[in-house]
Amino acid sequence: MSIQNKPLQRRGFLRGALATAVLVPMGGALASCAGGSGTAASSAAGGDVSATNPFGVAKTGALDAVIFKGGYGIDYVDFAGAIFTKNYPGVTVKISPSTDIAQELQPRFVGGTPPDLIDNSGAKSIGFATILDQLEDLKSITEANNLEGTKIADTLYDGVLAPGTFDGKVAAINYVLTVYAVWYSASLFKANNWTVPTTWDEAMDLGAKAKAQGKYLFLWGKEAATYYLTMAIESAIKEGGDTVRVNLENLKPDSWSQPAVQAVFGALEKIVKAGYVKPGGAGTQFTAAQAQWSNNQDALLYPSGSWIENEMKDQTKADFQMTGAPTPVVTSSPKIAQSGVRSAAGEPFIVPSKGVNVAAGKELLRIMLSKDAAVNFAKTKLAPTVVKGTVPADGFGSTALVSQTTMLDKAGKNIFTWNFIDLYGMNADLLVPWNSFLAGDLDAAGLTKALQDITDKVANDSSVKKIEVK
Amino acid sequence: MKPGGDLPVAARRRRKKLTFDKVSFMAVFLGLPLVIYLVFVISPFVQAVYYSMTSWSGFDANMPFIGFDNYVKLFNDDIFMISVRNSITLAIFLPVITVILALVLATLVTIGGSSRGQIKGLKGAGFYRIVSFFPYVIPAVVIGIIWAQIYDPSSGLLNGLLNAVGLDGPANGMLGDSRTAMIASMVVIVWGFVGFYMILFIAAIKGIPAETFEAARIDGAGRFRTAITITIPLIRDNIQTAYVYMGILALDAFVYMSVLNSTGGPANSTLVMSQKLFTTAFSKGQFGLACAMGVVLAVMTLIFSALVFLVNRLTGGSKDVSN
Repeated sequence: MSIQNKPLQRRGFLRGALATAVLVPMGGALASCAGGSGTAASSAAGGDVSATNPFGVAKTGALDAVIFKGGYGIDYVDFAGAIFTKNYPGVTVKISPSTDIAQELQPRFVGGTPPDLIDNSGAKSIGFATILDQLEDLKSITEANNLEGTKIADTLYDGVLAPGTFDGKVAAINYVLTVYAVWYSASLFKANNWTVPTTWDEAMDLGAKAKAQGKYLFLWGKEAATYYLTMAIESAIKEGGDTVRVNLENLKPDSWSQPAVQAVFGALEKIVKAGYVKPGGAGTQFTAAQAQWSNNQDALLYPSGSWIENEMKDQTKADFQMTGAPTPVVTSSPKIAQSGVRSAAGEPFIVPSKGVNVAAGKELLRIMLSKDAAVNFAKTKLAPTVVKGTVPADGFGSTALVSQTTMLDKAGKNIFTWNFIDLYGMNADLLVPWNSFLAGDLDAAGLTKALQDITDKVANDSSVKKIEVK
Repeated sequence: MKPGGDLPVAARRRRKKLTFDKVSFMAVFLGLPLVIYLVFVISPFVQAVYYSMTSWSGFDANMPFIGFDNYVKLFNDDIFMISVRNSITLAIFLPVITVILALVLATLVTIGGSSRGQIKGLKGAGFYRIVSFFPYVIPAVVIGIIWAQIYDPSSGLLNGLLNAVGLDGPANGMLGDSRTAMIASMVVIVWGFVGFYMILFIAAIKGIPAETFEAARIDGAGRFRTAITITIPLIRDNIQTAYVYMGILALDAFVYMSVLNSTGGPANSTLVMSQKLFTTAFSKGQFGLACAMGVVLAVMTLIFSALVFLVNRLTGGSKDVSN
C-alpha cells in the first residue's frame, strides 16, 4: 500500500463529484418541462338556482380568482369581490394577482385544479387554442340578468363577444373595451396648424413638415414594433375590405401578398426610407420610446391601443391632450370607410370547467358586468368596459377617453378586429422582422417574405389546432 | 497482505456488516439521498424525454405519442437553428474570454507585483480584488437592466460617449444592431462573471507554495513565463472546472439574454435556445416540442463538458504535476 496513491484517489473522487455537478444544471433544462397527471377535481355542492342567484352559488365554500396584474391592476376585481362578499357572506373570496398567468397556472390546469375565474391577459397569457376544451361556455352569463335585472347581452357594445368566441363557444368575456388608433397631441397639432393624416400620402406630407421642425412622424420601441403591424393590418382591411381580414385570420398562403396589404407596406416603406421614423427604436425599450413621444414630443404620431393614456400617465407632457384618430388608408376610396376602427375587447376573463366553484366564478363575472362595478372601472381606469353607458360626455376629464367614444360613434358599423396573432402566439416571432423593417434593414418584399414564413410555419404545423374564422 | 486461508474470517466480517447500526446508517445516508435523487432529478429527466416524444400542449392531461416528430420539426425550424447557433457561439467564446481574463487579473493581483522581496501582487491588489468582485454581487436581472440603459441609442452612456468623441454610435444602439448585439451581450456576461472566476483562481494560486515561485524567479523566469509554466499547470483542475461552469452558463444565458433583448434581438441575433424553449412552452402552448428543445440543450451541455474533459486529458491534464 502506498500512501502516495491516496491524493490521486481523492482527486478521482472529486472528478466524479464534478461530473455530477455538471449533470445537475443540465437537469434544470430538462426538469423545467415537468408535468403531472390529471385528476378530476370534486366540485362544490351547488346552491339553489333563483332569479338573484342564476348559477346556484352555494352558501358556503370558497371563490378562487387569479387576475392578471397589468396596467389596470386588480382593485377593480376586488371592488366586485366586495359586492360578492356582501351577497354571499359565507363564501371565502380570494382574489390573487399574477403577472405570469401561463407559467403560474400551467401546473394547475394539468393537475385539474384550476382557479374559478382567471383574467387570461398580459404578454404571458395562455394561448386560447391550448385550453379551449377546458373552459365553460360563458353564454350562460350573457343570457343571465345583471344585478339590476337587465339581460347582460343587451347591455354590451356590439361585437364585444367576438374576440372571446371560438367555434361558436363564448370561451372568454373580454372586459375592457380597447380602441386601436393613431395617437397624437391635439395641443401640438393645433399650435402648428397640422391636421391628422387620413391617407398615407398625407402622412408623407406631414412627415416633411415634422422634419422641418426637427421632429419625426413616427417612433417605436423594440418590444412594441408590432404596433405598426397592427396599424398596417387595420389600414389594409379598410382598404381591401373584409376578405383581407378573413385571409389573414385563416393563415392563407400568400395572405401577406394581398394587394391591399402590399399597398400599405409600400407606403410604410416610403415613410421609413424618407427618414420620417426616428432611428434607434430597435434598441430602445418600448416605454422609453413612448416617453420620447408623449414627453419629449420627438415624433408626432404613435399607433397603439387606448391603454396608452393610462400607461404613460406619469410621463406625458402637461397639456398634451392625447387624442386618437383612425389609421390612415391608401386611397381616398377604401372598401371600408377610413373612419372605421379596430376595436377589441381586452382582458379576457375565463371560467375553467374543472374549477372547484364554477358557479361562484361566473357570479363574480356577472357582478363585474353589472352597473356599479363597470362604472367604477371606467372612472378609476379612464377606460370603458364592454358595458354600454358608463362613460359621461366629459369622459371624466380625459381627452383620450372622449376621443375613443367619438371614434366608436363615427365608425358606426365599421368596427372590426382580428385574433390570429394572439391565438397562435405569433407576436414574439413577428416582432423580429418588424424591428428590422422599421430600422430600414428590411424592405417591404423582405418583410412580406418573413411574415409569410412565420404564418406558413403555423399553418403547416398539424399539431397546432386551427380555428376557422369567417 | 494477509496470508491465505482467511475465508471464514471474511465471511464473518460480511455478516458483521448487517448490524442495525450499519443498516440504519446506510438507509439514512445512502438510501434516502438516492431516493431523493431518483425522484427529483432522474425521474424528471426521464419524464421530460418522454414528453419530448408527445404533442402535449402543457395545459391538459392529453399526451398523444408521436415518436421523433418533434425532433424532425426542430431540425427543420430555421429560427430554432438560429438559436442553436447563437448558443454554440456563446459556449465557444464566453468561457475562453472569461477564463483568460480572470486568469490574467488573478495573476496580476497575486504574483504580478514587484520582482524584489516576497512574491506579491500589484500595489493595491486588495482594492482591485474587491472592485472586480462587485458585479458578481449584483443580481443578473439588475446587471441586464443597467447595461440595457448604457446601450440605449438615445440616452445611453455608450452612444453618448461615442458621439462626444466624434464617432457615430450605431443608430439603434449596440443591442439594436444585428452585427453588434451578440458581442454587446457577451460583454455584459463577461463583465458579470470575471470577478467571480478571478477570486476562484486567486484562491487556487494562493494554494501554490511560494517557494515554487521563488525558485522559478531565481532561475530567471519572468512574470509571464512564471504564469504560463508554473501557475497554469498547477491550477489546471480549477481552470477546467471554471471552464465547464462558464460553458453551462453560456448554453443557458436565459436571464441575461431575455433582459437585454427580450424579443431575441435584431434579426434573432441574440435568441438563445432557452428563450426559444420558454416561448414555445408558455406562449405557444407546445410543451412536447419545448421538451424536445430541452433534451437537445441537455445533450449539447453533455457534449460540451465531455469535450472540455477530453481536451484537458489530451493536452496532458492527467499528468500529476504537483508531485
